[in-house]
Amino acid sequence: MEVKLQVENEILDKIKHTFHSAEVSIPRKQRVEVKLRNDLIHPFLAYLKDTLGFKHLSHISTVDWLEENEIELVYIVMNYDNLVEVIAKIRLDREKPEIPTLREFWPQIETYEREIHEMYGVNFLGHGNLTDFILEDWEGIPPMRRDFDTVKYAKETYFNRPGREDAQDVRTTITKKSGEEIPELAKVYSVRHLE
Amino acid sequence: MAFDIKGILSPFKALNQMGKHPHTVKFPYEEKVTAPRYRGLHFNDLEECIGCGTCSTICQNKAIDMINIEGIDPSSGDTGLRPRVDNGRCCWCALCVEVCPTGSLSLTTDYIYVTEDADSFLWTPGVDNPEGKEKKSFVSDSEHSLLEYARVPMRELEGSERVKSFAEVVLGYSEEEARKEAERCIGCGICTDNCPVHMHIPEYINAIAHGNDEDAIRIIYDNNPLGETCGKVCTRRCEEICAISKRGEPVAIRWLKRYATERAANEEMVKEIVNPTILPPNGHSVGIIGAGPSGLTAAYYLAMRGFNVEIYESKAHAGGMIMYGIPKYRLPLDSIDKQIEYMESIGVKIHYNTMVGKDVTLEELHQKHEAVFVGIGFEKPYSIGLTNEEAEGSIQAVNFLRAINSDKHVEIGDKVVVIGGGNVAIDAARVSRRLGADVTILYRRRVQDMPADWEEIEGAEDEGVHIKPQAIPLELITNENGRVVAIKYANAEMVPDPKGGRPRPKIIEGDEHIIETTAVIGAIGQEADYSFISEKIKSQIEIKRGRIVVNESQQTGVEWLFAGGDIANNRADAISAIADGFRATKGIEKFILNKEN
Repeated sequence: MEVKLQVENEILDKIKHTFHSAEVSIPRKQRVEVKLRNDLIHPFLAYLKDTLGFKHLSHISTVDWLEENEIELVYIVMNYDNLVEVIAKIRLDREKPEIPTLREFWPQIETYEREIHEMYGVNFLGHGNLTDFILEDWEGIPPMRRDFDTVKYAKETYFNRPGREDAQDVRTTITKKSGEEIPELAKVYSVRHLE
Repeated sequence: MAFDIKGILSPFKALNQMGKHPHTVKFPYEEKVTAPRYRGLHFNDLEECIGCGTCSTICQNKAIDMINIEGIDPSSGDTGLRPRVDNGRCCWCALCVEVCPTGSLSLTTDYIYVTEDADSFLWTPGVDNPEGKEKKSFVSDSEHSLLEYARVPMRELEGSERVKSFAEVVLGYSEEEARKEAERCIGCGICTDNCPVHMHIPEYINAIAHGNDEDAIRIIYDNNPLGETCGKVCTRRCEEICAISKRGEPVAIRWLKRYATERAANEEMVKEIVNPTILPPNGHSVGIIGAGPSGLTAAYYLAMRGFNVEIYESKAHAGGMIMYGIPKYRLPLDSIDKQIEYMESIGVKIHYNTMVGKDVTLEELHQKHEAVFVGIGFEKPYSIGLTNEEAEGSIQAVNFLRAINSDKHVEIGDKVVVIGGGNVAIDAARVSRRLGADVTILYRRRVQDMPADWEEIEGAEDEGVHIKPQAIPLELITNENGRVVAIKYANAEMVPDPKGGRPRPKIIEGDEHIIETTAVIGAIGQEADYSFISEKIKSQIEIKRGRIVVNESQQTGVEWLFAGGDIANNRADAISAIADGFRATKGIEKFILNKEN
């Protein structure tokens, strides 16, 4: 196994020598995962791109860690020579998520950053074009944040198509058959009621 | 004019492309192969689907309705409803597929939907595309799922430790374990249909999941005053049809009920938490014969409604079979006391050591009370029908368990044979193990045919009980003092039943064996003792196969006489008795109040 992961281990060593605070692991073949301090993401990606040959930016993903009050950005870059992917993760304060833009490295990152700004409310400093992307005139919580109530929004925004009036309540269907009478104090815990 | 070889060869250049993948659209048109786990239109396997509605509840766009479909009828474990998707709203996130407990719902490779009606977005998967079965693409699997298919294991005493005492075997969930187990429930409520008393199962489990144990207790006591007993020994028919059990282990409904009810450590706490509304006395009076589960349940709810309730119990302790039949390692005395004391504290009166038919007659009870409920249970054992059955050393299991549960000594020696395969037989065997005997169970059929709970059978085996299936007892052998010293049995083979029933045991001629024994315990069933009912009343009620026939409110042929428990249903468990008692409450109330008007 050690021999097989030679390339990955070399990358891991180089990253560790250059960025002492980074937590680096190899979850599987052709993949190196790095957890970074926020302020290191620029020098880190510059180092990967210019020195280690990770020329390709595959994707930026975002995770809302509601309970920990953090927003995680996940940068995925790839090296065409050895087909290894590096996954770099940073965590921002959820109340005020801010990070300088990376558009000077990869111009196409502008689009990713605009989308993340709109869907998660992350502010990319120096981006210059964080305007409406897919949503128009969106107000309130960014919709991909976990505390956004999608169901409530769907109910308030859209009307039910005609023909859906015959929908049945599962719990009531069962109680009608069995004769069970659910007391008021229990009803608040029912999860199968139509509103 | 120069000869141009190029002009001749160029047409053949096209041959270069031979064998290469074409870039043009093929004729006839071939549908493109979609990516693996492509999320196209829904398909629902209508046979697998149980109509739990989890897909509809999870849908973030509220695109899924549960609807009745012609030809699909509700049954035990199936609401009869099926999902219908509004394709105009669906965003193909596939959450509905991820949470489907049966795995019936999937997304297909189909992505083209053509119709002449621009408004026809409503789509019933499985009904509108039966061919989708062959095109499943995005399916859920129980390995990687948003649902948890494995149960939080219950901690128990080791088998070798158990046989040393009558300490409770099951140790119960911790708070953390209970929350984790409760969170597995998807709240569909399908289980409630199978519960004889229709407890509000998804609601109290959800209360536990939210950490509101007191609400859970209140919800449990709404229609079951013996929730703690059921939490320990219920036959839990609910778990048999749990939606999660289609692909995993059912939610541990019984253990969660046990967890919640045990949070109230004593009867004062129960009373404080349940805080029942007791109506002022309404001047009416009900007599109840037998303080078993059915009688106690009827008494509890009648007392809450303002009736004067008096229970006549022939023994020194209330509880009936849960007190005298179920061994204490399954249901400790403290727990029974707590439940009975709580009932007495809200106004249920119990006359102990009062045998109806001896100390007081049924007619006298009728004069004193406007209605009488009979819940006397099955206490008289069937004889095992062998020679020397009356000999010393031959014991009946119910008598044996009653004596042990009353702290009496029973001489069984060190080598016991139990005859039977029900829960009573297993109980007698496990109790005998705890008294230090080697125990063998003789059962006519195969182990898988045993009516006992599989957990009980496993528990008995862990404790070192030998189970000898397909063994038919022939006779008890006594010594010169008339004491049983051995039992003769024959091995049997299973033969198909000509009437199409379950396979029957047939004795293999000559394959007879003798086991030495110090006691034989018979456990092949019980019946009721109706000798306290006078001939006059007996002629007005109907007794069918040993059971009193009652209507849907537990009323017998005599309008003031109600019956419940083992004498009125054939399910032989506490929860069915509780259900009878609960139904009788309403029946008795209606009968008395109607009479008044």
